[in-house]
Amino acid sequence: MKRSFFTKLMSIVAAASLVLTATACSSKDTPSDSSNVGGTASDTGSTEKVSSDAAEERGTIHVSMGRQTLQNVTFPDGDTYEDNAYVRMTEKELNIDITDEFEANGEDYDRQISLALSAGEIPDMMKIGSLDILKELYENDLIADLTQVYDEYASDYLKSLYDSYDGRALANVTLDGKMMALPGTSGDNGPSIAWIRSDWLDQIGLDIDEDQDGCIKIEDLETVARAFMDKNPANVDNVVGIAFAPWLTSGDPDGTFSMNSIAYALGAFPKTWMEKDGNVIYGSTTEEMKQALSVVSGWFQEGILDPQVGTRTWDDITALLANGQCGIAFGVWHIPGWLLSNVYALNDQATFEPYVVEDANGMINCKHNDATGGYIVVKKDFSNPELAIQIANLFYDTLVNDASLLEKYPEVKNYVTNGVDGSSRPFNIEVNSYTSLLDDYVEMVKGINNELALEDVSTLETRTNIPAIQRYLEGDVDADNWSRYHCRLKGVGLIQSVTENNKFVWVTPIFPKTTSTMETNWANLEKLEEETFIKIVTGDIDVESGFDQFVTDWNAQGGAQIIKEISEQVQ
Amino acid sequence: MEGIKNKKRSSVKRRSELSYHFMVFPGLFFLILFSYIPMVGVIMAFQDFVPAKGLFGSEFVGLKHFIYMFQLPDIGKIIRNTVVIALGKMILGMIIAIAFAILLNEIRIKFMKKTVQTIVYLPHFLSWVVLASVVTNLFGLDGSVNQIFTSIGLDKINFLGSSKAFPWLIIGTDVWKEFGYSSVVYLAAITSIDPGLHEAATMDGASWWKRVWNVTIPGMLPIILLMTAMNLTSILSAGFDQIYNLYSPIVYETGDVLDTYVYRIGLVGRQYSFGAAVGLCRSVVGMVLLLSANSLTKKLTDQKIF
Repeated sequence: MKRSFFTKLMSIVAAASLVLTATACSSKDTPSDSSNVGGTASDTGSTEKVSSDAAEERGTIHVSMGRQTLQNVTFPDGDTYEDNAYVRMTEKELNIDITDEFEANGEDYDRQISLALSAGEIPDMMKIGSLDILKELYENDLIADLTQVYDEYASDYLKSLYDSYDGRALANVTLDGKMMALPGTSGDNGPSIAWIRSDWLDQIGLDIDEDQDGCIKIEDLETVARAFMDKNPANVDNVVGIAFAPWLTSGDPDGTFSMNSIAYALGAFPKTWMEKDGNVIYGSTTEEMKQALSVVSGWFQEGILDPQVGTRTWDDITALLANGQCGIAFGVWHIPGWLLSNVYALNDQATFEPYVVEDANGMINCKHNDATGGYIVVKKDFSNPELAIQIANLFYDTLVNDASLLEKYPEVKNYVTNGVDGSSRPFNIEVNSYTSLLDDYVEMVKGINNELALEDVSTLETRTNIPAIQRYLEGDVDADNWSRYHCRLKGVGLIQSVTENNKFVWVTPIFPKTTSTMETNWANLEKLEEETFIKIVTGDIDVESGFDQFVTDWNAQGGAQIIKEISEQVQ
Repeated sequence: MEGIKNKKRSSVKRRSELSYHFMVFPGLFFLILFSYIPMVGVIMAFQDFVPAKGLFGSEFVGLKHFIYMFQLPDIGKIIRNTVVIALGKMILGMIIAIAFAILLNEIRIKFMKKTVQTIVYLPHFLSWVVLASVVTNLFGLDGSVNQIFTSIGLDKINFLGSSKAFPWLIIGTDVWKEFGYSSVVYLAAITSIDPGLHEAATMDGASWWKRVWNVTIPGMLPIILLMTAMNLTSILSAGFDQIYNLYSPIVYETGDVLDTYVYRIGLVGRQYSFGAAVGLCRSVVGMVLLLSANSLTKKLTDQKIF
């Protein structure tokens, strides 16, 4: 009897202690309760207001982040990546406390992520650079499913930005039907543009584009290159007609210093997976690519292509342009801002005119970009995953559309007007609508012609561009005005006019997930491609037989297998 | 009686050696920490290593990565390039360093000797990242070397873009960079030769050549053998930083070596296990070469390294 009483007592104590530990655990996890509060509250009214009330109630939540930084970013006194006006605004608006688990630049950041991944311990939220890493995080079961919180919390405007990509943006981050990351968007930047020294063209009296539509033929490029080499407008040694980077082709349509514009004009899309007649093909192995290589190889023989192609590095080519040894540069619309500015720095009389290269039918071939670049992921069992969506709302919707937010936070306004780098925001990604590039251009031109008041201009970038370009047109040619004029008015203007004239022929490539054969064989195939192409161009290998041999080897060394795997993905 | 004497001596010896053992300890500690403990990582070569699962959780796949390595279409070419460049550097570097040491030793003016020595071993302390741009400027198509070629009526050679010239450029510039530094060892070996031998040879009427051949070189032989054996271990590494900073797809044919190839493959696919497999292969080859060089030298000269 006594014994049984004792046993009973013991079991009661044991049960009580169990309950106690259980409560202790759950009290540590209180945020999971408060997320319910936020959830129910949002059902009753407009998300924005209610969630901030709910944020008051639930108490401050701590969020640790992994953040990709830039070198040499200038902050106002005392501010850092971890503690700056943007971060303070976020902390106040959402009642959270952000600390950075790690910060690193460029490649170092990827190494940090690899480390975090290998330890199986990631911060509450972090930026990652590629879909391969996203896949790896997902397979290691380290990140949270955002499907539900996105549906529930994302503002209509934010959703409309993603939707402007026809579902491609979100499809990229959807794994097994679950949205595993918040993607940054990357719109189309148009084709690789031939930037030609227009002050030289004037000097030697050459007009290659009589109808002024900005479209020229491959032969016109040759004419310019020959003329620049003969006349040598800058009067320097070792003149080079056309220079390409050692990798020759680029997977980006706008690949800087690549031969993409020549390839595209001949209907070849190097380093591109695409569907043709129902089959998956790889653009670098097509007959059109052979033609493109034979054109460029012909240039090498004739001498209008840089005789040192292959060993001339990116920096070497920049130097050629800056020294006046070369007057033709291929690249995206914004290279005047960061690359051709080197030319201006040495010679403030230099001006460039952008041209696109047309195909035999007078059309401009181009391909779409993948819709996303840069991703925010949330840790698997983070208590408040909706915070990631709310931070995105704050920066990509409220900050852009609601002027009162800037009034409320004068220091953030200061950041915006002084152009403190966007990487200082908690999420270092961009979310823009698909058509923002050309929309901004139309607005900018109205602004420049004084048809639109500066206050009514919708984006900050355009508000800064308008006065700068006006100053340039009035003859105030400083470096900043020069860049903005060339990038925005010349470069984007060309894309706009080609679009208006309906001259673009857009190709939508396949953006495959890395397949198993790609994992093992891709580096090797890439080597084979780069090595063969440069040798064909320099004449080490005959175009005809060399290219056919390349296609055979490429298929035999895994290419055919990869195509098979991608076809399975597509279906 | 004799035994006791010996015992006494050895215990005294042991006590006096204690302090030396103590001094060796920090080095030994770091050796174990940084060289022996990481050796556990070689099991990665036999796994499909997934960081999240860790070294002991990843799946074992046996020799998959080794088989894959030898099935790579270019592996033969790459190993050939590696061995050619590494051997070229080793042999040429050694001959020039030894010749330089012998010649330098003949200089009697001390100031001159020191100055020359300092100048030639200065490049050793510069990194290839810096020197690569020097080499590019010298040997590029518009570089000084080609300008000299044109001025004496020769054709230009694109050293950095020609499969034939590239390995020689690599070997040549490496020898230029390192011969001064490696000659230090040989110089020390020469000075340790008993001057009496030289005097005796001179008395017997030996010419300078004869003395170098019959006194100096045999005297240096142990060091030469030691250095050869040590260098043999690195036969499969041809100098990553040098080649990586100078090569381009045009010269993959003769310039792509194991290090650069693995670097590119590893970077694209984050293939840790494959990298480990290649590293292990290289270490094994290095060790086999070292051991055989050791036993060979013992047979030939009755001297050995360990």
